[in-house]
Amino acid sequence: MSAHTTDASTLPQNSSSPRSASPEPAAARLAGALPAWNPELDDTLVVRAVREETPDVKTFVLAPEKPCLFQFTPGQFLTLDLDIDGESVNRCYTIASAPTRPHTLAITVKRVPGGPVSNFLHEHVRVGSILRAVGPMGDFSCFTQGTSSPLPRYLFLSGGSGITPLMSMARTFHDLAEPRDIVFVHAARSPVDIVFRGELELMARNQPQSFRFAPVCEADSPREPWYGLRGRLTPGLLNHIAPDYLQREIFVCGPAPFMAAVREMLKGAGYDMARHHEESFDFGELARAEPEVAADVVSAEALAAVQGAVAPSATTYTIEFARQKRSIECRSDMFVLDAARRAGVRLPSSCSRGLCGTCKSKLISGTVDMKHGGGIRQREIDAGMALLCCSRPTSDLVVDR
Amino acid sequence: MLDTTDTPLKSLIRRRKPGYSLEAPFYTSPEIFEADMDVIFGRHWIFVGVEPDIPEPGDAMALDIGKYAITIVRDDDNEVRAFHNVCRHRGARLVLDYKTTVGNLVCRYHSWTYGLDGKLLFAEHMGADFDPGCHGLKPVHCRSLEGLIFICLSDEPPADFDIMAARMAPYLAPHDLRNAKVAFEKDIIEPGNWKLTMENNRECYHCAGNHPELTVPLFAYGFGFAPEELDEHGRKEAEDYAKLITTSHREWESCGFPSEMVEHLDDMVTGFRTERLPLAGDGESHTNDTRAACRKLLGTINDPRHGALHFWTQPNSWHHFMSDHAVVFSVLPLDAERSLLRTKWLVHKDAVEGVDYDIENLTAVWDATNDQDSTLVGYCQEGARSPAYEPGPYSPHTEMLVDKFCNWYIGRMAEHVGR
Repeated sequence: MSAHTTDASTLPQNSSSPRSASPEPAAARLAGALPAWNPELDDTLVVRAVREETPDVKTFVLAPEKPCLFQFTPGQFLTLDLDIDGESVNRCYTIASAPTRPHTLAITVKRVPGGPVSNFLHEHVRVGSILRAVGPMGDFSCFTQGTSSPLPRYLFLSGGSGITPLMSMARTFHDLAEPRDIVFVHAARSPVDIVFRGELELMARNQPQSFRFAPVCEADSPREPWYGLRGRLTPGLLNHIAPDYLQREIFVCGPAPFMAAVREMLKGAGYDMARHHEESFDFGELARAEPEVAADVVSAEALAAVQGAVAPSATTYTIEFARQKRSIECRSDMFVLDAARRAGVRLPSSCSRGLCGTCKSKLISGTVDMKHGGGIRQREIDAGMALLCCSRPTSDLVVDR
Repeated sequence: MLDTTDTPLKSLIRRRKPGYSLEAPFYTSPEIFEADMDVIFGRHWIFVGVEPDIPEPGDAMALDIGKYAITIVRDDDNEVRAFHNVCRHRGARLVLDYKTTVGNLVCRYHSWTYGLDGKLLFAEHMGADFDPGCHGLKPVHCRSLEGLIFICLSDEPPADFDIMAARMAPYLAPHDLRNAKVAFEKDIIEPGNWKLTMENNRECYHCAGNHPELTVPLFAYGFGFAPEELDEHGRKEAEDYAKLITTSHREWESCGFPSEMVEHLDDMVTGFRTERLPLAGDGESHTNDTRAACRKLLGTINDPRHGALHFWTQPNSWHHFMSDHAVVFSVLPLDAERSLLRTKWLVHKDAVEGVDYDIENLTAVWDATNDQDSTLVGYCQEGARSPAYEPGPYSPHTEMLVDKFCNWYIGRMAEHVGR
């Protein structure tokens, strides 16, 4: 008698066999009618997976300790309550996963030079880590915003890690097989920085009639030249991607300058701004009140995508490189090194994360807001040194370079 | 019958005559020098510096022990750590200056960046399959004994360091070296094999004839004499010295300064010796006038007359801890016939140069003594090259400790290369 027929004949008859007494542990998490997750009763979430999306973006997949389901509308955010070096820190992260897969919830985090929270998540949070969270909250969602029409057409405009709420919306419609006409635009620094690239391409293949994915890159990657759409978002480029964009319901998320540039562009094109929806955080406000939170969302690639667009909240300072006898402009929300690079000023640098200290420079005059990652000592800072890769100017600067 | 299977080194080790100096190849042979670096400097605790060399987190020091490049760093938790000073990428030396301050440890070549715990934090362009976890800096065993930093290059360092540390800590603690600063340091290259430098240090037979400065604060009979050669005056002096030792030890011990002699120079893998010795006259310190060189005393010491605590370790250091300053010595072999002698003078970290102490006065005795010793070591090295050299007998009264150094050396070599 073969093993196969033995199994087939005995299993249904013997429900109390040792095999059925210890079922697959995941089965409990899917069993029956599970309660909804209630952070008031249990705010602990277990990290069940960590995914590397791009070199500086990671996704953290979270599940409740006791099996239950997450309920939220796509676009909402979660507030993590983290204990970093004995200090309690709260940070909001938009949910990237879709409510159609309610057993887990995913946040996608971009590493920020010197950002204590994003670096903490990237470096210390692993599978099995416990995080505390409250939420979901927020009303930036195509479920609750926008004109109701039987067949809405959407334009999703995302910059950098601002992709997460729009991704949640796109995943939801895809999973529900709901017919929605979506053009999904994503601005990235280079091809390797396109977040969720493979999955967006798959969704486009699965819904060839209704979902278009249009990544826009500022530059090539070292190992992948970019032959797709290039440069910053302009009315011309938008017209090329979606000629009917003025008729679409538009959802935007990205760094403040990115969203500001989009606003100006749409106004200029005569778009009905009642149908324009931004991520509900006010990033300008946030950048002033909590620069680190804003920085988590502000990304270099999206800044690149809107170069030239002046955000209302940003001031521009003059940076003088004394030895090279060069003077450049740098916005208060940009790192000095990035501004120098764009202006063609060459400075020694490597990690761009405040770690290696290669860009350490003497400030002859001026002040910066620096969030370093250990690449400089307090004694050096006291002696007027700064890491330009993670310093934003807070005044005009003269740098000994 | 000749034992033709023996290496020349094994034969030399086996026929070493106790009580006599070593045979010439131990001082001249490049092959034996290589064996010394492997066996002695590669597998024992080596004194390399003091915590005040790297007083603050991020301070780093680079040094070479034979072929090994080492860096000693103070991490953000104030712990002293040692690593091989070799980038895990293409092998470039990481810390380039003798002493420097770093944020993280960064290779100049391609900016590979290591935390002060040696973890590789950043390496650009290495691709998805690259595992930074496998490319951290290689650690080196490192211990601080009350601020004296020892490292061991072996994977399995001698465990009896703990015994020495437990015995020595109460002796050293009152001088609180961790709260001292290096007021001055000086490297000299002695023109001799490292063993000649050490042997020279282990006796004071030569002091009366060569060290006019050192013998001002040091008692002539402090390091042994032949009693039968003493005249009546000499005998009286020797008796007085013996009494002074007894009364001084009693007095110092009663106020918290362990003083009695402890000697394990050749019966421990980590050989050492200590004793607190009185200084001549109303001596306070190793200076030309025997007065304290620094007005601010070390640690919590409030009386400058606490003698001089001597601490010697095998194979490469000796130290003098006075109430006002400490002098520490590290010998690092360069080749068979040259050795680096690194001397550091330490005073309380709050002492102000030019106010509380004067560098010239602080360093005068040992600067002169080192120069004199270097010359003497050179004479021995030159003599050892002559075919006429043969091992001579040690004085049983003044050179017992040289003999113990050689016993320790031969014993450790025999342990590893065979007898």
